[in-house]
Amino acid sequence: MSFDNSELLNDFVIEANEHLAEIENQLLEIEANGANVNVDLVNTVFRAIHSIKGAAGFLGLSAIGSLSHSLENVLNLIRAEELTPTAGIVDVMLKSADQLSSLVEDVNGSNDIDVSVLSSRLDLIADNLGLPGDAGAETAAAEDPEVEAAEKIVEQIADIQPTVDSASTPAAEAAPAEEEAEDEMDRQIRLAFEARDREMAEQRASQTESGATTKPPKSSSPAATAVAKPEPKTEPVKAEPKQQVESSIRVAVSVLDQLMNLAGELVLARNQLLQTVNGSAKNVADKTGRNSGIEAVTASIDQVTSELQEAIMQTRMQPIGTVFNRFPRVVRDLSSKLQKQIDLQMEGVEVEVDKTIVEAIGDPLTHLVRNSVDHGVETPGVRESRGKNPTGKICLRAYHQAGKVRIDIEDDGGGIDPDIIRVKALEKGVISEDQMDRITDRDAVRLIFHPGFSTAAKVTDISGRGVGMDVVKTNIEKLGGTVDVESVVGVGTTIRVTLPLTLAIVPSLIVESGGDRYAIPQSSIVELVRVRTSEFNEKIGRVKNAEVLRLRGNLLPLVRLSDALNLDETRRKSKLKKPKTELLTNSDGGPEDGQTEAANVPRAINIVVVEATQFRYGLVVDALHESEEIVVKPLGTHLREIQSLAGATILGDGHIALILDVGGIASHRELTTIAEEARNESAQNQQKEQHESDKQLALLFSNHPTEQFAIPMSVITRIERTTLEDIDDIGGDLLMRYRGGSLPLLALSRLVNCKPPVEQSSLYVVVFEVNGIEIGLIAPELSDIRELSCKIDSMVTETAGVMGTFVLDNQTTRYLNLYDLAEKAHPNWFIEQREDVELSPSEFKLLLVEDSSFFRRQVKKFIKSEGFQIVEAEDGVDGWNKLNEANGSISLVVSDIEMPNMNGFELCSRMREDNRFNKLPVIALTSLSDPADVERGRVVGFNDYQVKMDKASLISSIHNLLKISQQQAVHA
Amino acid sequence: MNEIQLATFYIGDVLLGIDIDLVKEICRPMDMTCVPHTPPCVRGVINLRGEVVTLLDLRRILGLPEQFNMDVQRNLIVNFSGEHVGFCVDAISDILTLDGKKVEHAPANINGMEGRFFRGVYPLPEEIVLVLNLDEILDATMV
Repeated sequence: MSFDNSELLNDFVIEANEHLAEIENQLLEIEANGANVNVDLVNTVFRAIHSIKGAAGFLGLSAIGSLSHSLENVLNLIRAEELTPTAGIVDVMLKSADQLSSLVEDVNGSNDIDVSVLSSRLDLIADNLGLPGDAGAETAAAEDPEVEAAEKIVEQIADIQPTVDSASTPAAEAAPAEEEAEDEMDRQIRLAFEARDREMAEQRASQTESGATTKPPKSSSPAATAVAKPEPKTEPVKAEPKQQVESSIRVAVSVLDQLMNLAGELVLARNQLLQTVNGSAKNVADKTGRNSGIEAVTASIDQVTSELQEAIMQTRMQPIGTVFNRFPRVVRDLSSKLQKQIDLQMEGVEVEVDKTIVEAIGDPLTHLVRNSVDHGVETPGVRESRGKNPTGKICLRAYHQAGKVRIDIEDDGGGIDPDIIRVKALEKGVISEDQMDRITDRDAVRLIFHPGFSTAAKVTDISGRGVGMDVVKTNIEKLGGTVDVESVVGVGTTIRVTLPLTLAIVPSLIVESGGDRYAIPQSSIVELVRVRTSEFNEKIGRVKNAEVLRLRGNLLPLVRLSDALNLDETRRKSKLKKPKTELLTNSDGGPEDGQTEAANVPRAINIVVVEATQFRYGLVVDALHESEEIVVKPLGTHLREIQSLAGATILGDGHIALILDVGGIASHRELTTIAEEARNESAQNQQKEQHESDKQLALLFSNHPTEQFAIPMSVITRIERTTLEDIDDIGGDLLMRYRGGSLPLLALSRLVNCKPPVEQSSLYVVVFEVNGIEIGLIAPELSDIRELSCKIDSMVTETAGVMGTFVLDNQTTRYLNLYDLAEKAHPNWFIEQREDVELSPSEFKLLLVEDSSFFRRQVKKFIKSEGFQIVEAEDGVDGWNKLNEANGSISLVVSDIEMPNMNGFELCSRMREDNRFNKLPVIALTSLSDPADVERGRVVGFNDYQVKMDKASLISSIHNLLKISQQQAVHA
Repeated sequence: MNEIQLATFYIGDVLLGIDIDLVKEICRPMDMTCVPHTPPCVRGVINLRGEVVTLLDLRRILGLPEQFNMDVQRNLIVNFSGEHVGFCVDAISDILTLDGKKVEHAPANINGMEGRFFRGVYPLPEEIVLVLNLDEILDATMV
């Protein structure tokens, strides 16, 4: 079939797609409303279908026309409230809408597609007004027409498909006595087409029981033998609608106007630039004023260009809701198939991401949602037996975080049991027996993303369809995103997907190696490490002849970028001279022999720690340049197969920089085995170190060049740089002028017995918070941030403000307690807090669980100073025993997270499972404040999360929780 | 009429021709970026007004002797199935309009160069033009 006016046809397709895009969810809403029909909503759908029908008729699209006509009839009845939209009816309508979509998609071939099946089903519904066993009376009333209609359809089908099925099985089979309306409906309609007399008979029989049948069961059986075996063909509609990829997007006129304006501005600014440059070339003598002119124009070009870029980006943004919209249907269909009850909640549908991402994220997300329905949420029976609401919940949440889009898929199902995963992973050879024992619960759960690992206990047709979670992970990573999983057995599972806002522009770090610049996408960079020559012995080691970097107890394989890219050879081939500067650490060796090699190396080496799919490694580069937002350009066909490269970009100066693919480099260099070795070794190291002492990330600074101090990083809000001029001494109090206000400052030499700092104009201020007030501590010279694993001696020099001392790099370092210092300097800030106390602390006994004796002593001191009684425990197991021994006398538990034998998470979840302790308030105490941990803590049942050395806020949290539990006790 | 128009150029002292319809432009050598892990015939990539174009070394593809004078050369940018590819050549010669019928079949071996790289040879009064078969050449460079 051909249409003269293809433009008209295109318009129709666009319009019809717009109508159909909304219909699915509208129909679902109609279904949800049930008998309580929302006439306006039905009207909207009716109008949409009506206009499709009208246009289809005009264009001679008979298939679309007839199907939409039938659909319209049904909608009309619903609108008139003559027909109640049951699940079964809506099901047929949804399938019709799907069919319409696929017809519209292939509009030219649409007339060749047979739609009679669906339109007959719709007509059947329309003719019989809600017939399918909704109510006995209605069914009875509709009895005869139904059979007629069925027979009519059977005849139609016989016409279309004249092959006679002689093998039609007449065997009897008992139909389940209690069927859901939907199934009944389905079967009834199906049998009409298939004319399976047997089932028809059953159906009749069951209806006879309900007391209304007049027709003998065999009424339709003759037709059965006459009809072809139609199953494969009668349902041309796929259960899953093919998601359409829009080739055009709608853009707000205002955005386009802005684009036009900016483009105009850009042209003007460019002209100015040209004129200015030309003018200056002519008047070389005139040296004054020239630069300022160029600067101004350059600045304006710069600004206009970036605004233009933003505006153009905006035209590409679409709400994530366009992806989410398909999920109500997916969840509905799946959950009814699996006989589960699931309530889907969606948040953040308005969050906007780039169109390319909207298109690409659909399939991975669908997979994740299906997984949650299939494996996550339990069946109503199981849920009830576990004391949960029989209706499960899946929550899809999209939000912006740190310049990225996060999508959480959260279910309140059975969770993933790390032990089962361990066993399965071992069975499948994903991990070794040795690893199985060592791997943490969290990492065990993460194994579901491992290639070759399927979570499905049995392969169902819903998940386990050959596409594992590893494919989901790979696809998301292809978009520059990440995916992680968190799960608590019995409570639920959360899958977190992080995506960049856009693919077109990638924030990248420009690095240099062998004289060429390369771009590394920021998304794959974990951190930058500079290793000074003096630190080589300490930080660079070897595992199986490969260099590794020691980083906070982990060993990371090192790759020299120049080696990885074979730069010497590349250059030789291109007959270019070697770059003038000789590579610092030459590509064939590195600091192999420790000291001797290190001595040859003139200065520090720069290491970019990057995250490849399975592991991290360090990339050694010659120099680090600036961060740039680069536009990714594809490489030619000759270069596309190169694993180490992800593309190219053009830098500000017109040079091309190749974009590195860190995953590709890793696989090219076969780093996996080295990484594995390194991980094993570092795991052993960590175990060793953990036995020795607890670890704490600390900021090191010197007040006077000879005296070093340390502050726990966890209590620092931020670090500011300032000058002496900005600091005022007002009546003995130091204040820093800061963002229009003033920040109270502490000077160490006034509070602790130490040498005053050497006068210098520029200094650092470490900002922290006490009782909601920001305070700064003057730290004249910052030296490093280190993970302290050395022993802290708290006995020798313990004074107010100093928690203890330790020796680091042969220098005695004092470990400061910022809260004590603040209290010492401004005791009045703490008085108010104390007066607020309504509890009598001595009545309460607190359990403190902490493996590090240093921290245990510190925290104990805090708590005792408030007057509470305290019981100490060394780890989770000890804590659990003490809890049992105490016989209910404990009122609150303060627990560390990272502990041997039983960690804080385990302790807390064990308490929550025990009737005696499930109401007991528990505060998690941590030196790490990873949001994921906080979240996990919340899920496990911690009432609060506190940073180890934040005395004021720990104490106030204890007070709050005790008050709450007292009140609860009174109410109970 | 069966006329063909060739853009001709030299590599060493070999005169080569290419169908002018395939030629996008001829440009002066520009700043080139080397690409690692590439076959020897790929020289690198250049920035052609915002497009990243792969530069191929025709001399190596054809197996001609290396030449170390890199100064006098041009980049010939051709359009090949929707993508732009550059060739380094030593010097650009004339545009010739020739009678297509006079193009002779290329022998299996021309001065050590494989015959498959040529669609034919065309004798001129003083020398001969070797007409390149771009498909074969680009095919040979794909790994």
